[in-house]
Amino acid sequence: MQKINRNVVLALLSLTSLVFLLFQLCYYKFYLSQKNGAAFSKVRGSQSSQDSTRWHVVRKFLGLISSHNIPVYLIDPLILGLVDKDIEQIRSSLDGPSPECKYFCAPRDFTTFALLDKTWKHEMGLFRTAEKMGFQWLKIINKDPRLDGMDDLSGMEIPLHYIFKLASHAIHLVVFYERSGNFLWHGPLRLKQHMDRKFVPFRKLHFGRYPGAYEKPELLPVSIDDLKVQIPKNPSGFLEEMSHSRFLECRYREARAFFQLYPDDASLDAVEFRKKAKSLLHLAALTLNNLGVKFWLSSGTCLGWYRQCNIIPHSKDVDLGIFIRDYKADIIPAFQKAGLPLKHKFGKVEDSLELSFQGEGDVKLDIFFFYEEDDHIWNGGTQAKSGKKFKYLFPKFTLCWTEFVELKVHVPCETLQYVEANYGPEWKVPVKTWDWKSSPSNVQDNGVWPVDEWDDVIQIY
Amino acid sequence: MDEWKPNPAVKPHKKRSWYLAWKYKLMNQRALRKLCQTGAVLFLLVTVIVNIKLILDTRRAAYAEEEESAQDYDDEMLNVEVPRHPVNNKKVLDVEVYSSRSKVYVAVDGTTVLEDEAREQGRGIHVIVLNQATGHVMAKRVFDTYSPHEDEAMVLFLNMVARGRILIFTIKDEGSFHLKETAKNVLKSLGSQVAPFLSWRDMWTFVGKKGGEVYGEKHAKSPALSTWGDPVLLKTEVHLTSVEDAECHWPDTELNRRRKRFCSKVEGYGSVCSCKDPTPIEFNPDPLKDNKVFDVPVAVIAGNRPNYLYRMLRSLLSAQGVNPQMITVFIDGYYEEPMDVVELFGLSGIQHTPISIKNARVSQHYKASLTATFNLFPDAKFAVVLEEDLDISVDFFSFLSQSIHLLEEDESLYCISAWNDQGYEHTAEDPSLLYRVETMPGLGWVLRKSLYKDELEPKWPTPEKLWDWDMWMRMPEQRKGRECIIPDISRSYHFGIVGLNMNGYFHEAYFKKHKFNTVPNVQLKNVESLRKDNYETEIHRLLGEAEVLDHSKNPCEDSFVPDTEGRVYVMFIRMEQEADFTTWTQLAKCLHIWDLDVRGNHKGLWRLFRKKNHFLVVGVPASPYSSKKPSSVTPIYMEPPAKEEGAAAVPAVAAAEQT
Repeated sequence: MQKINRNVVLALLSLTSLVFLLFQLCYYKFYLSQKNGAAFSKVRGSQSSQDSTRWHVVRKFLGLISSHNIPVYLIDPLILGLVDKDIEQIRSSLDGPSPECKYFCAPRDFTTFALLDKTWKHEMGLFRTAEKMGFQWLKIINKDPRLDGMDDLSGMEIPLHYIFKLASHAIHLVVFYERSGNFLWHGPLRLKQHMDRKFVPFRKLHFGRYPGAYEKPELLPVSIDDLKVQIPKNPSGFLEEMSHSRFLECRYREARAFFQLYPDDASLDAVEFRKKAKSLLHLAALTLNNLGVKFWLSSGTCLGWYRQCNIIPHSKDVDLGIFIRDYKADIIPAFQKAGLPLKHKFGKVEDSLELSFQGEGDVKLDIFFFYEEDDHIWNGGTQAKSGKKFKYLFPKFTLCWTEFVELKVHVPCETLQYVEANYGPEWKVPVKTWDWKSSPSNVQDNGVWPVDEWDDVIQIY
Repeated sequence: MDEWKPNPAVKPHKKRSWYLAWKYKLMNQRALRKLCQTGAVLFLLVTVIVNIKLILDTRRAAYAEEEESAQDYDDEMLNVEVPRHPVNNKKVLDVEVYSSRSKVYVAVDGTTVLEDEAREQGRGIHVIVLNQATGHVMAKRVFDTYSPHEDEAMVLFLNMVARGRILIFTIKDEGSFHLKETAKNVLKSLGSQVAPFLSWRDMWTFVGKKGGEVYGEKHAKSPALSTWGDPVLLKTEVHLTSVEDAECHWPDTELNRRRKRFCSKVEGYGSVCSCKDPTPIEFNPDPLKDNKVFDVPVAVIAGNRPNYLYRMLRSLLSAQGVNPQMITVFIDGYYEEPMDVVELFGLSGIQHTPISIKNARVSQHYKASLTATFNLFPDAKFAVVLEEDLDISVDFFSFLSQSIHLLEEDESLYCISAWNDQGYEHTAEDPSLLYRVETMPGLGWVLRKSLYKDELEPKWPTPEKLWDWDMWMRMPEQRKGRECIIPDISRSYHFGIVGLNMNGYFHEAYFKKHKFNTVPNVQLKNVESLRKDNYETEIHRLLGEAEVLDHSKNPCEDSFVPDTEGRVYVMFIRMEQEADFTTWTQLAKCLHIWDLDVRGNHKGLWRLFRKKNHFLVVGVPASPYSSKKPSSVTPIYMEPPAKEEGAAAVPAVAAAEQT
């Protein structure tokens, strides 16, 4: 009885093992015995098969993409980080086979690629081919923000993200759009109700939590791990840009509601002022960007953006903020060179610095420097005739990108707190008379400049 | 791989029982054999375990991380699912059709799909086409068969409707006066018993399937000439067929999928939906060599004239060098059918909630469309602006590609237009010739982004100003003395008859005989001579070689110009100051060209062709070219007809239509 049992058990076990062996063979054949794959199949063990799965999924995806002539480029932060370490080597290396799979086999759940919308004709053919190749795919569409600012236009929804999944790896394809202001924008990834929430672990995605703004990257075709891909020419620069790329859309709907309540000033004066202020802002942005000085819309200009997505016609100047740590002595000469003479300079780098430049036709450019403390940020003001100092307090904030009068500029991400600190809870109501010494709700007296410093801290031209 | 899953589960039990057996047998002194067996089994076991791990690993995404939630990525907006129309799942439709003197309505399954009780409107036969599988309304038309020729239009339409569709007819007020025999026969062939005998002020409703059964018909005879028949209400049931039967079986391609979607929704587009050998919806015209306008966005301004839009897009997509990706159709209003047409051709369309009324509405639509165009294509320096009632010449983009650099470089230019206001069959001759003109013709033109963004957009007329956008653009405050470049032979053709400012008579008189270029790849002549200063040199050269015509003859007579070909002639008319167009208007009238306002002039000079000769008209003494007039010649003066006292006011009144 026992003997029979043993034989049966043995036979069963052998059979199962045999079947498993067969399966193993098939498995390797399925995943590894394809063209170019041989190099990495030598390494044994399950970990390496996982690694090469990633490589193979990427390879398949690149094949799919190139068969449809879609130019994508790699923006995966993990891989770009690895690539950046060996960038010189990769740039100079020829197309020879690489000895090991160093980048595309690195452990991760996704590989992220970018696609420029205008280089691609939306077509269903891609997805049918993808399905034939075994990919499952997900498309995330949403409203077109380029039409959002427009009264009452409704376009088709545009694709923002694609996810292609094969085996245990997924490709995240982020669609970038050109926006006025000469930059690239990608949208947030938001799942609609009927969508499969478990399609991939969405939380682990590197792109899509917020919309983002990027400069148009210069691309470099490279061959890494025997795969030809395009990468940003300067990967570390791209990664740095990525870390603070969050984009805020203007609140167009609220702006429309505002204009319902307070109709826009369409007088010739207003049109003229807006035109001048816009060109002044463009000039200031150009000058500061060339210097590499980070700045943001402050005070009235920021309020204009937040409240009405436009320049406030009765504001009479353009206001910018700069962190004092970003201050450069070149700022003044650079503006003068750009044709904006210094009008006045209050304070000094250590305390309450404020610059004012004269733009074309009475429009003034005010630059306020912001000082960071442990729990707040402040900037200073000075009354020329009395030497009185003022301090304007703001809660801490970080910077986000936005689009304003065809310009990519920074605004405080926590805009509401910023605006409320400056203008109080009644900021939604337009005020024509404004005293910078008493009207702001965050103003504090800050003593008086010592008389012997006046020549230095109060300069009027 | 799924079929392997049960195996790992089976394995462990077997292993344990075998292990116990093996332990007993070890006592039995068959050590060597056992050892071999053990080795083999161990090897097998390792294989099994490795495989199980492998399977688990590859399935990791599916199993291990299933619990991962993605709440952050939920769309904030609650997408309320729109309840599907109940019609979809039903096999039978209840149809109600009402016909009376002052009101008609049609209800399908309780939903009113047509209701017309407006006074002085909607007279004649209303026709509704339903999809026989879904019950959706595919077309709605009204043919005023009280008036002549409308019955022909109805026959044309009914012939275009695919077999199997459900047709619903109802008469409002009167529909028989000009309903001719042909039309009656068509209705009879659809199964109507009454149609051949329809007479004055009869009320009539009819529901039937094209080429199939009749679902119902009701008729009320008018008792006397002065009264109408009693209102009739027809209630009937229509049996739906399966979707399969309602569709054509085209090969399954991307294009045909678009076609299928389109053809299941709308009717009345003829062969695009025919099952056998449908007309193409992709044209692949030859690409242009060195195409300078490939990346220039094209904005098509449209209203609710889907049949026009269909014709327009066909010609646009057939033009050489077209780039469909740059085309955006802007629809003024939430109309479905124009959008269906846009989707049929795989283009992108944007709908615009109407603001304001009449001309101001068009003007606001233009502004929104232009702003959106430059938002969508922030890199673009130009935009091509087209309208839905234009045919586009095959060399439209070639024409622009050869001339667009002028608009970029010559500050004195306002636009490039494909339309020559004075280019009629009898006054235009040379497809390679360009002019500079002080008027802005529109009807297919190129706008510079800087002009729009810096000058026009900020002060565009607001909705409460009931201005025509094109009249506004022609005002000196906007144009600032700048000129447009136009071809001698137009690269667009205005075919619209139904329009805001348009009617059949007007179209016949001013647009029908317009010359339209059909020659591909025309090489433009001497484009550089269109630059500001070069053009003056060119004009002086032309005037230098021109023969002065006999000013004693009547310029309206054909004999005014000799029977030659290829010569250059000049005539001088009286033009006291820059705005004195008295004689010109009379001349334009008798030459049968545009005379509603002044078009096509350049410093008091007009250029056109007569009898294949270049024909120049110079206004003396206002034009700087007056010096070319021989002293012996007296400029011709033509008086406006006596009864038209306000001839000078004509331009203002006519408010020249371009929309």
